Amino acid sequence: MAVTSHVSNDGNKLTIAIKGRFDFSKHQEFREAYEKCSLKSPQVVVDLKEATYLDSSALGMLLLLRDHAGGDESDVRVVNSNSDVRKVLAISNFDKLFDIN
Amino acid sequence: MSEIHMDQQVISSLREVMEGGFAELLDTFLLDSEERIGQLHNAHEARDLTLVAHSFKGSSSNMGAIRLAQLCGQLEERAQKKQLAGIEELVIKIDDEYQMVRQLYRAERQRVAASSFASGG
Amino acid sequence: MNSPLPQAHGLTVLIAEDGAADRLLLSSIVQRQGHKVLLACNGAEAVELFRQQRPQLVLMDGLMPVMDGFEATRQIKALAGEVLVPVIFLTSLNHADALTRTLEAGGDDVLIKPYNPLLLAAKITVMDRLRRLQETVLQQRDLIARHNEYLLNEQRVAKAVFDRVAHSGCLSAPNIRYRQSPYALFNGDLLLAAYTPSGDTHVLLADFTGHGLPAAIGAMPLSEVFYSMTTKGYGLGEMLREMNAKLKRILPVDMFCCATLVCVSAQRRSVEVWSGGMPDGYLQARAAGQRTPLISQHVPLGVLKAKAFDHSTQVLPMHPGDQLFLLTDGVTETIGPDDQLFGVERLQRVLDSNREPQQLIDEVEQALRDFQGRTRDDVSMVLITSQLPEHPGMPVMLYTDSGQCSPLDWSASFEFRASTLQQFNPLPYLLHLLMEVHGLRAQGAVIHSVLSELYSNALEHGVLGLDSRLKRDAEGFTRYYRLRNQRLAELQRGFVRVSMQVMPCPRGGRLTLDVEDSGQGFDVAKMMARPLELDRFSGRGLNLVRQLCPAARWSEEGRKSTVEFSWEALA
Repeated sequence: MAVTSHVSNDGNKLTIAIKGRFDFSKHQEFREAYEKCSLKSPQVVVDLKEATYLDSSALGMLLLLRDHAGGDESDVRVVNSNSDVRKVLAISNFDKLFDIN
Repeated sequence: MSEIHMDQQVISSLREVMEGGFAELLDTFLLDSEERIGQLHNAHEARDLTLVAHSFKGSSSNMGAIRLAQLCGQLEERAQKKQLAGIEELVIKIDDEYQMVRQLYRAERQRVAASSFASGG
Repeated sequence: MNSPLPQAHGLTVLIAEDGAADRLLLSSIVQRQGHKVLLACNGAEAVELFRQQRPQLVLMDGLMPVMDGFEATRQIKALAGEVLVPVIFLTSLNHADALTRTLEAGGDDVLIKPYNPLLLAAKITVMDRLRRLQETVLQQRDLIARHNEYLLNEQRVAKAVFDRVAHSGCLSAPNIRYRQSPYALFNGDLLLAAYTPSGDTHVLLADFTGHGLPAAIGAMPLSEVFYSMTTKGYGLGEMLREMNAKLKRILPVDMFCCATLVCVSAQRRSVEVWSGGMPDGYLQARAAGQRTPLISQHVPLGVLKAKAFDHSTQVLPMHPGDQLFLLTDGVTETIGPDDQLFGVERLQRVLDSNREPQQLIDEVEQALRDFQGRTRDDVSMVLITSQLPEHPGMPVMLYTDSGQCSPLDWSASFEFRASTLQQFNPLPYLLHLLMEVHGLRAQGAVIHSVLSELYSNALEHGVLGLDSRLKRDAEGFTRYYRLRNQRLAELQRGFVRVSMQVMPCPRGGRLTLDVEDSGQGFDVAKMMARPLELDRFSGRGLNLVRQLCPAARWSEEGRKSTVEFSWEALA
């Protein structure tokens, strides 16, 4: 599976991990990962440790996730991105929308 | 080499398939065969001989004249390989076999005429 | 009949057989199965019958006089073209090589003598099914081809429309060079350029996420806003807010628009930049041989709500002759052998080795070709050279009204106070009002330039107390604009007053414009004593005003400036 997800024991945190290229081909899987679980206090973590590349459609998918998780009130973190991925996120200034570390 | 001059099984299935056209089929076969026999005698080249023997083999086999079909098959094969030595002997054998076949199929033709006359009468 | 297949019937079947008895037998069998029969005694007859009557299926003897079945089959298959006309060979041959010959000639099946009627019926049924399958495939193929043709045509039409939308500005100006791959716009790239009323150049290079029609749809409102607001004299900030709001409203959540919007002002020796989500552009100072990257500082357009959107721009010194190079990520993300990206380092090497700026775009293209990148259809590049207009106010604004109702005797006065100065640009409205006076229209560009200068002098030097001497060098320039934004944000008090008086004269009319501010003023006599030096950063504004309006005068210790424009009656 290129997109895996799990919910923390207390049910408050959803973690979605991406493996390989994060592009349009992951669209369906990525959406299913957050649509299938309904969280009460939705903290979402997108783990990009194993993501090699990220394109503009992936940025679009992150925006959809953000919207789903509550828009401006959402708490979405993007973690463990490699330097290439970080560059893409930086150009788009997505640190203003997501907690990126 | 089969000794069957006229396969009764084939004849009965042909009668079934052709229904009212069976007599015409027999006539056509006999007429066609006379022509083939003539062509066999007049053939000057191995190629012509092959072609005639091939056609004759096909129609004989369809009509259930099994021995005739086999003899034509032999002739076709030898003509094709241009093994023409003693070929007249084989043509005479075909002549003889055809005489036999003609008698049997004419008799069959008579029977058809009689029965259709009887049933049609 | 025990056949599990629903038996085919009603076909036209061509029988080619030289034996009369065989022909009769076959035609009886086939007719009895409900088909129409055409009879041929040799291959040549068979081909001719096929040509005339186009039967759907052929029973073909192999060896026949005149033309054999193999040649006849080849000819019939050629005549049939892409329609499947099954040919079943009739043969007493049962050697493998003979069977192979029938298949090589294009035969689809073989029936061996003596004929078995049941087997023949089954074969005809199977062949008919194949024939219908092929027919369906061909129909579907044609349908898909038609749909595709339709789609391509729509794309062509849409492309033509968008090309017109995107290229109606001043992209053909001598100081702008650009290159876009033919379908770049359709792949989401948009390049727009237009003159402001005072002769500055606005350029927008944008890149929508996604491809095709959805991406290009956003191009419409974007160019609409760009052209109309530029022509009316709006600044970058107002345009950006409008663009962002429009795109936010129409684009789905996962789509957005990366963009760089610049205002190149040769008169003011500066360039104003906003960039969100675009790869670095470059400002190349000709004299200093210096290259400054223009780094994306914002979230792309169409993502943030109006409240959160940041339209703050960066102002950099840009002298006439300096160049601005902008590109979309199609350039840096061109993929070469081993899936490598062209990347920023390779691009910078091309920029380093460039000697003749006008060749830069060609050189980048050449480098992309040398990189053997898979050609991408979304490569856009633009090179803008700062160039002083021949005479200020080059662009002549076009008006469509009749000119019959022109206000000729009026005055108005405005006072813009602190909180208004912080977030509102009154210039487009003031200009619009003045342009109702038809006699002034010919001088519209000059009036706009002068009014803009007087207003920004009043705001920056007067109200905000900024020292124009800061702008002496590039570093000070940046500091100046940082201070400007900071002081404006903290502004509590102060005003800029604009008064306009229009009076008819015996043969025409006169406009008197006063711009007054709440600042400290300056030593008018000293300023007026200075010679006009056009190539300096500092004090640019006043020099420009004095050049454009020799009769400009300052009073109230420099706090008030007055300019006049008069016109002759229109014929």
